[in-house]
Amino acid sequence: MIDSQAIETGKKCLAAAKSQGAAQAEVYIENGKNYEVTARDGEVETLKNSESLGLGLRLFVDGRLGFGYTSNFDPASVDAFVGEVVALTKVTAADPHNQLPGAGILQSRNKAPETFDDKVASLSPAWAVDAAITMEKVAKGFDPRIKTVSSVGAGTYQYDVAILNSLGLLDHARSTYLWAWAGPYAADDAGNGQVAYFFDMKCFADELATPEEIANEAARRVTARLGADKIDSGHMPVVFSPEMAAGLAGGLAGAANGDMVFKQASFLHDKLGASIAPANFSLIDDPLKYHGTASGAFDGEGVPTRRLPIIEAGKLNLFLYDTYTASKAGTRSTGSAARSYSSLPRIGTSNLYIAPGDVAPEKIVGDVKKGLYVTSMMGRGVDTVTGDYSRGAQGFLIENGELTQPVQEVTVAGNLLEMLPKIDAIGSDLTFRGSTGAPTLRVAEMTVSGR
Amino acid sequence: MKSTAVVGTAAALPGCVRATTEAELHHQTDPLLDPTLLKKILEAAMSRGGDFADVFVEDTSGTSFSLEENKVRSAQTGFGRGVGIRVLAGQKIGYAYCEGFDPQRLIETAKTAAFIADAKPGQVADLTDRRTASDMNLMRVDPAAVASVTRAELLMRGNEAAHAFDGRVKQVMGSYFDAAKRVTIANSDGLLINDYRVLQRLHFVVVAEGDGDRRTGFHGGGGRSGFEFFEGFPPEQAAKEAARQATAQLGAAEAPVGEQTVVLANGWSGILLHEAVGHGLEADFIRKGTSLYTGKVGEKVASELCTVIDDGQLPGRRGSLAIDDEGAETQRKVLIENGILKGYLVDRHNGSLMNLETTGSGRRESFRHYVMPRMTNTFLAPGTSSPKDIIGSVKNGFYAKNFGGGQVDITNGNFVFEVAEGYLIENGELTRPVKGATLIGVGPEVLKQVDMVGNDPELDAGIGTCGKNGQSVPVGVGLPHVRIAKLTVGGTKKSMKAMV
Repeated sequence: MIDSQAIETGKKCLAAAKSQGAAQAEVYIENGKNYEVTARDGEVETLKNSESLGLGLRLFVDGRLGFGYTSNFDPASVDAFVGEVVALTKVTAADPHNQLPGAGILQSRNKAPETFDDKVASLSPAWAVDAAITMEKVAKGFDPRIKTVSSVGAGTYQYDVAILNSLGLLDHARSTYLWAWAGPYAADDAGNGQVAYFFDMKCFADELATPEEIANEAARRVTARLGADKIDSGHMPVVFSPEMAAGLAGGLAGAANGDMVFKQASFLHDKLGASIAPANFSLIDDPLKYHGTASGAFDGEGVPTRRLPIIEAGKLNLFLYDTYTASKAGTRSTGSAARSYSSLPRIGTSNLYIAPGDVAPEKIVGDVKKGLYVTSMMGRGVDTVTGDYSRGAQGFLIENGELTQPVQEVTVAGNLLEMLPKIDAIGSDLTFRGSTGAPTLRVAEMTVSGR
Repeated sequence: MKSTAVVGTAAALPGCVRATTEAELHHQTDPLLDPTLLKKILEAAMSRGGDFADVFVEDTSGTSFSLEENKVRSAQTGFGRGVGIRVLAGQKIGYAYCEGFDPQRLIETAKTAAFIADAKPGQVADLTDRRTASDMNLMRVDPAAVASVTRAELLMRGNEAAHAFDGRVKQVMGSYFDAAKRVTIANSDGLLINDYRVLQRLHFVVVAEGDGDRRTGFHGGGGRSGFEFFEGFPPEQAAKEAARQATAQLGAAEAPVGEQTVVLANGWSGILLHEAVGHGLEADFIRKGTSLYTGKVGEKVASELCTVIDDGQLPGRRGSLAIDDEGAETQRKVLIENGILKGYLVDRHNGSLMNLETTGSGRRESFRHYVMPRMTNTFLAPGTSSPKDIIGSVKNGFYAKNFGGGQVDITNGNFVFEVAEGYLIENGELTRPVKGATLIGVGPEVLKQVDMVGNDPELDAGIGTCGKNGQSVPVGVGLPHVRIAKLTVGGTKKSMKAMV
């Protein structure tokens, strides 16, 4: 918990900033409490425990930005710390857009979405020990070709944040998270190995997939991968599993970042209002999502959040802004400032997802004569500047509507602006793993490079 | 390895001397915590038994500046101090950390780490093996002692040079960072060792626009040295190189896809070794049997032209460390010699379970993270071919001059590299630039396909960061020019050599 003593240190920082010449200042305090357990051979392999508390100070002196962070809350060191941050502003350029969010903006608030579960807060590490050992056992028992489990574990995190600034803002939020994952290793008779992972993360204990579900799904995935091979290069329909489609959502949101747009370093910079995707395609960032793992009523600058339809019915509807970039672009913050105590606000997303369509995922695959079903990818993904997309892919060959040969060592490439209009099927199976979600997606044609 | 870094030359710094000021010596000889307290922490850590315990104490301060839109946008300073405590009991690891140096909390943290053990208290030796790590930092001028304005000025100098280089340069973004990390490590065997680590990094990203096309270039450098590093590596040079890459790629053709002969440029292309081989030789994957190099010591795993070395002792390099994060001296470790696998990268925990000595490869991002076996500076030893002969030998192929980053699946060796700057090779000459290429392959297969190795070894300029299980550590990579007989290039080109 962030106690009153930590808040007092924060207030001292604000007062010291003012007395040392800062026109505005903001303090962001984070407290985290975490444990995580991994298992091996029926026993605990690692048990990690941590608790951390840190403070970030952002201030403006004559329109110049300074930032510092520390984990030292000793009131006696506040003046020196603030002095270092104030001194740094001599180096930075004056900029009229260097301001805190307006006091009026800060006052309005949505009701905070629920992200704290007392049950998670009271779970002891014994829960994670049981879950990890169970998952290992279930995965190993799934199939004799599963030789070992590369990594299996579970953990919880309790998180507490406070933001206060020189305009009188003082707000708190707290969340709980718990998660579990399994990564079994399987090998065929020739000794060719594969690892596949499955994980789940939620804010509420009762919503997490059971250890059995996680282990079985991971085991199903890894055994299905055995015998994976290259395929010949070609142009073909590519079906993205919900988890892989979520990666596309992230790439699109990265290009809708108002900072990249302002610098014309995004391939979407001149596309606002344009139709860039089929009419049944929507991309939404929803910080108020019910029980979302990234839900919150205010962003990293204290600005109230709201649901943001980035792409709606195929049309590029808005860009994401924090206070600084919004001011430069002559618009208002969208409440999209992401943050940690050790970093300046930067534009990010919360619960980001591609809205579901109405096609059953089985039919999306079933309608393909020859294509690639992608279940796992490697590499960076989307080039925000150009929209070029080129990633290493693993998955399955689709032949006559059926998943057949497992595939690896191929790349899937295209350009997002060319790919989006070619999305010809959107699944009804919106799936969240963590804070990003998507349904199954099919792109009518992409370049697959293999042999 | 997650990185947006590129190859370049970090010239050796003539005239650099080791830091021997009184302040430096003071840094290196005083433990961050009182030895009596360290012993008490270790006893609390071993209070429920265990084979071994260690305490990692860290005090880090750092400064960074960023440039965008022709001005220094932000200046940051950060201070972090804390303690990580580890208990080993058989295969089990208990790990806990706390921020700050409050003695009572440290004892409590140690008891939390002890939770995994359930036996009689274990033995803690007196901390009599007291040492200070040799000073690896080639430092004449401590960056922290240089005026902030002078450090931030590096960014403005680069900005000007990039814009002056070519009118098509539209955006220049720059970042400068320096940090000093003091470390004290104590363990239940009686070791008490101190280390002082500096690190700095300057990096530019340039966006160029022309002919309806927009392209990005990156360049930067740094290492464990003083501010005089930038005499040998001026910001103008780094920013111009980023601008050259961005403008050279304007109007690039689409990459040809399918298997072809690939030539890798020297330097930063060493991420090939890092991804395709290095990670698979880390002892945690070997112990669990999930690396395809498990049990292959003594076997031929690469072409006989390949000798792969991991060397943590190179002075001033980004990946260098005098001691690892368990207090063991780092080594020059030959991993593969003339194609034969010689050994693995080993930390204490995995080593003790595998009956192997540590190779000084135990690293952690900070006190908040537990130790894993990691690389330091990983490179391929030079061969005998000239780069001109290597390129000249290829009739039709692909030249990868620069990479964005890469990733590997150590289980099956599958890797990908994003090519940031690539060219077609036609009749032994570099011809047109191509865009959007990705190299994909299986590590051991690719090393067997290496059929020419250049006589021009080079390490990258010092901005690589390697990510593993959520932990980032600075690393170096290196390679001479190398020809790979056959490798898959992924791209978007419509007409393909190998249509289905």
